[in-house]
Amino acid sequence: MAELTAFAYRPGTSMLHRLDVRMKLALVAAASLIALQLGFSGLGPMALSLMVVAARCPRSLRIETSELRWIGLLLAFVFSARVLSADGTTVLSILALDITREGLRAGALVSLRLALVFLIGTLLMGTTRSSEIKTAVQWFLKPLPFVSAERVGTMLGLLVRFIPVIFEEVSQASDAQRARAVEYRRNPLQRAVKLGVPIMSRIFKRSDQLALAMEARCYSEFRTQPLLKAGFKDWAIFIPGCLWLATLLAV
Amino acid sequence: MAAIIEIDNLTHRFADGTVGLDGITLEIEAGGFVVIAGANGSGKTTLLRHLNGLLLPTAGSVRVAGVCVKKHPLQARVLVGMVFQDADSQIVGETVRDEVAFGPENLRLDRGEIDRRVREALAATGLMHLADKRPHLLSGGEKRRLTIAGILAMQPRVIVFDEPFANLDYPGVRHVLDQMIRQHRAGCTIIVTTHDLDKVLAHADRLIFMRGGRIEGDGPPPVLIARAESCGVRSPRAMHLGLEALSWLN
Repeated sequence: MAELTAFAYRPGTSMLHRLDVRMKLALVAAASLIALQLGFSGLGPMALSLMVVAARCPRSLRIETSELRWIGLLLAFVFSARVLSADGTTVLSILALDITREGLRAGALVSLRLALVFLIGTLLMGTTRSSEIKTAVQWFLKPLPFVSAERVGTMLGLLVRFIPVIFEEVSQASDAQRARAVEYRRNPLQRAVKLGVPIMSRIFKRSDQLALAMEARCYSEFRTQPLLKAGFKDWAIFIPGCLWLATLLAV
Repeated sequence: MAAIIEIDNLTHRFADGTVGLDGITLEIEAGGFVVIAGANGSGKTTLLRHLNGLLLPTAGSVRVAGVCVKKHPLQARVLVGMVFQDADSQIVGETVRDEVAFGPENLRLDRGEIDRRVREALAATGLMHLADKRPHLLSGGEKRRLTIAGILAMQPRVIVFDEPFANLDYPGVRHVLDQMIRQHRAGCTIIVTTHDLDKVLAHADRLIFMRGGRIEGDGPPPVLIARAESCGVRSPRAMHLGLEALSWLN
């Protein structure tokens, strides 16, 4: 799980790879918000346009089958929750649960929306280095008072760097406990505490060591930032992208 | 040769009262290759961390290239690059390239200079082909080379290796040794702390033993090695047979 291929950056030279990261982030944020508002009539065209974009950078969408299973499970859960919670005309009854036409419609709608948001996120992460995302976030935060954009950027960067490390620590601690028959403990709360406490301890120790290592290399918030330059080609993608999203919203 | 590191009566007491270093006085010549050996808890790492101001003295002073470390710790950290024992805790970049660029970015160099230094450091450590890879996917030896590349990009005059061979396989040890020797030949002062003399002693021109926060012995390796066992350090296997220490690169 430390290597989630769905969100792994894959180097490339596609249009999306080369697009200015600030414009990419703005388009992704707008597209995600709009996707959550669209009805069936808008979701179809949006899905089609995303497929066209994805077809131009296919390597960015390489997702392991095992991860698709988790994504599918999540969507299935959301679908089921929506279906079973909506009132309306009953089309099927299973035990004490009524499945309604309105529920099926609402479940399909929310699942499709989420699937699109997932696709948008995957396209972003597959074509953008997380360091660039961090720089763009810093750029957006810069005008805000009382917010240290550089500090937020550093936190984001460390989060991305250390999520796989934390998963590794969890995996190692879990294996070490299973090697000593922790599964014989029936109480799940006890097992959670036995696992959680040493993991937290190791993570905090790592954090201390990390802070020292950063100090040893003269870390400060005021450091050289990656260059961000938007040219004509970026605007030539960004403006039509915005117009297309506005059209979808109007529809 | 002039001394690049001057330590005068250095004492360090931890918050719980434990004495980590007790009156250490030491000079290290520029361009030297020094091995500091001792059992766990002898004070090796504590001493190293005074060289770049990560720890400050309770008493005494440390100067690096004439710069007082206590007054100018940032300057000291540019002069002294430190390779930590645990590579995973040292690597902060999201990709290999970002990791190597981290140090020069902290120095606020311009982007062109940063890119040049990153290219040189990656080439020097044989990591150019892994530039876009994420660090947690590297092998142990590659991670150690990456930490070295990250230090090289800052162009220090002194490189300090804290237990550099821990958890490394034979090829990994050879890679790290190779880097040490290259940097030494390029004019860097190399300081290595280890309790495993077998891997590095053949290349050192000075050996220092530490015990209980004090220096127990200081001199040329062939002369001093006889005291290794009494200082809690195993002497190289070849020396048990009356031979010179053998290099792991041969």
